[in-house]
Amino acid sequence: MASTPPAHHRTIAASQQAELVAFLQDTLGPKGVLTEKNDTARYCIDWAGTTGATPLAVARPANTEEVAAVVRYCHQAQIPIVPQGGGSGLVAGALPDAQKAELVLSLERMQRIRHLDPLNFSVSVDAGCVLQTLKDAVEAEDFTFPLALGAQGSCQIGGNIATNAGGLNVLRYGMMRALVLGIEVVLPDGRILNDMKALHKNNTGYDLKQWFIGAEGTLGIVTGAVLKLSPKPTSTRTAMMACSDVTAAMRLYAQARRSCCDLLSAFELIPRRCIELAIEASPELSDPLDTPYPVYVLMELSASGPVSLDSMIEGLFEAGLTDGLLLDGVLASSDTQANQLWMIREAMLEGQQLHGLHLRTDIGLPISALSDFHQQASAMVHAHSPESEVIAYGHVGDGNLHFNILPPPQLNEDEKAAVLHNLEMRLFALVPQFNGSISAEHGIGRLKQAPFLETLDETERQLMQQLKLLLDPDELMCPGRILPRQSQRSSDSVF
Amino acid sequence: MKVLVAVKRVIDYNVKIRVKADNSDVDLANVKMAMNPFCEIAVEEAVRLKEKGIASEIVAVSIGPKTAQEQLRTAMALGADRGILVETDEALESLAVAKLLSKVIEEEQPQLVLMGKQAIDTDNNQTTQMVSALTGFAQGAFTSGLEVADGQAKVTREIDGGLQTLNLKLPAVISADLRLNEPRYASLPNIMKAKRKPLDTKTPADFGVDVAPRLKLLKVEAPAERQAGIKVGSVDELVDKLKNEAKVIS
Ligand SMILES: Cc1cc2nc3c(=O)[nH]c(=O)nc-3n(C[C@H](O)[C@H](O)[C@H](O)COP(=O)(O)OP(=O)(O)OC[C@H]3O[C@@H](n4cnc5c(N)ncnc54)[C@H](O)[C@@H]3O)c2cc1C
Repeated sequence: MASTPPAHHRTIAASQQAELVAFLQDTLGPKGVLTEKNDTARYCIDWAGTTGATPLAVARPANTEEVAAVVRYCHQAQIPIVPQGGGSGLVAGALPDAQKAELVLSLERMQRIRHLDPLNFSVSVDAGCVLQTLKDAVEAEDFTFPLALGAQGSCQIGGNIATNAGGLNVLRYGMMRALVLGIEVVLPDGRILNDMKALHKNNTGYDLKQWFIGAEGTLGIVTGAVLKLSPKPTSTRTAMMACSDVTAAMRLYAQARRSCCDLLSAFELIPRRCIELAIEASPELSDPLDTPYPVYVLMELSASGPVSLDSMIEGLFEAGLTDGLLLDGVLASSDTQANQLWMIREAMLEGQQLHGLHLRTDIGLPISALSDFHQQASAMVHAHSPESEVIAYGHVGDGNLHFNILPPPQLNEDEKAAVLHNLEMRLFALVPQFNGSISAEHGIGRLKQAPFLETLDETERQLMQQLKLLLDPDELMCPGRILPRQSQRSSDSVF
Repeated sequence: MKVLVAVKRVIDYNVKIRVKADNSDVDLANVKMAMNPFCEIAVEEAVRLKEKGIASEIVAVSIGPKTAQEQLRTAMALGADRGILVETDEALESLAVAKLLSKVIEEEQPQLVLMGKQAIDTDNNQTTQMVSALTGFAQGAFTSGLEVADGQAKVTREIDGGLQTLNLKLPAVISADLRLNEPRYASLPNIMKAKRKPLDTKTPADFGVDVAPRLKLLKVEAPAERQAGIKVGSVDELVDKLKNEAKVIS
């Protein structure tokens, strides 16, 4: 490593780029490489509209061997690579960084569902398989792959692994990490780590696959995985319940887990304002209850057997009314109505997006601390920017709060950014007081790096740096994501 | 004014239908059932009439298996005052349903009967019209707007190429089209209250109606899978394929 200049300091010469493109064309065929600006543009913008720099090229390998060949070449030529899935990540990790300095490697042509093993409750897939495609395919065989999130129509299994995605059903089925049995990774030097065993138990040595789950592409490129399936629920009930405040909602959560045979599969906090945002974005949606209430909980029970979910929900509701935790509620009487309730959950994100620049956070908290945090953080925002608006919702059943802030609408863009930056720092400063995390599921990428580094202690920082250098000593794989480039360390004041 | 609403238990609109392996019928095992969406609209309209003080009582009627009680409870949670289940496990045809409904109508003497324009399982779109013929009630099918006053129902109907407005003299039977209203959600307090509302169970025999099918279902097949598209290289190739493969031009 010492003799090689750090990757990011090297400008990639035009001749080197031409050689790379020629190699890619040779190795991957005409479908496998894009170079024209028109063709590469869509790989340089993500869901949130954040744009990245122009990449050296976009490589689109069709199988693991092709991925390995590209990585080997880039390792030799010291060309940084950014693996890319569906581009739905929210921390700009998959976007090319510096101008013409990185190769984007898209897994989008690797979509094969390799093998479903019904008795083993597992399925093996290519990493480029779109989450929704996999969900539909296993559902047709009476299974469910329970990872569920707003971006499931575009995000890929590889991206879900790289970000250790969470979503709506974590409280019942766990994060992506809990759903990965085996993994196949192309390492930064081009070697292939093949751990595609479909084992529910395997305690032989260090569990290498864990390194790559949630690594955001910084340790290697995930090319395949064996995933854990569950039986497809045969009955599902979706209810929206109204509470007076977040504290009541969290007490309801504890009761719901206990009194519904632990069959709760989703528990989402939705403040009143989000219903309005959803209707603003999708005017065909209607307010499910006839009176407005301060906060709502969108909850789902599901089971794959002969249990009466209706009586559980009704029992919970009656108890909640008696205890004063609940004010009102509706129960979807069909899947159509259930989908409409879930559409509110989706449309409210679009409604928020319509309001332009805002602060999006993804805070993880002990469930027991969530309502206190919510209270203190709201008070903090109110004290420092009374005209800013708090929009706090999330998968609170797993302690995940999207504590978002809309800045005062009358400010200009620069002023808004300044207000939000200030509030973000104050908000993140509160997080450690509650033993929380500044990212429950979206990850660090490039956007949350500074506050992330603040939270690391010396031992954690060292181990993370050493792990990165162990696998990627030349810092060619997603450089600068999660950790700053270490060769930059001395000049980087934060580090 | 008493209003009678008919509700049918059908496969949930969102369920992906599967055909039984022997092609004898649609597979209903472990399939989510719900109230027919057009019946939901009819119930909603009845409830709105009651909220406006026009309807005094809403009676929900379902004809079908015992489990159709669930749909009657939903109708009662939405605002119906009581329910009547005419219980049978027979796969009923429209005429049998229309005859049974006519008998219930004879007993209950409603001024207005609201139904869905069709059930999404068999898509027959016949029952309203048959009920009208059997009872002599005025008929307003495919209704997208309804005003009731002075013993009359002013009905807006969706017809080919536009809207038709009819004045019906009550009693009348009206079938709801999609745009009549948007049904509400059943609130949990009302679901609890609905449990205590009366639900009567009858059988076709109580009404002396023979419900034996007149048609025999021979075979049910899933629609053919759509073939994946192809990209053609040139106009000539396109013309060739349209001529010789798709055979849509000559
Ligand atoms: C509307 C919306 C809702 C969302 N909801 C949730 C939610 O509820 N829960 C949640 O956890 N997340 C959520 N997300 C963000 C979530 O991280 C992503 O949706 C998803 O997991 C990323 O997958 P992707 O394929 O789009 O990855 P990308 O955005 O393409 O990439 C994300 C990161 O992973 C790396 N990467 C991608 N593929 C690979 C690979 N094969 N090997 C190695 N590295 C790779 C990239 O380099 C990048 O750093 C949401 C996003 C949107 C837009």
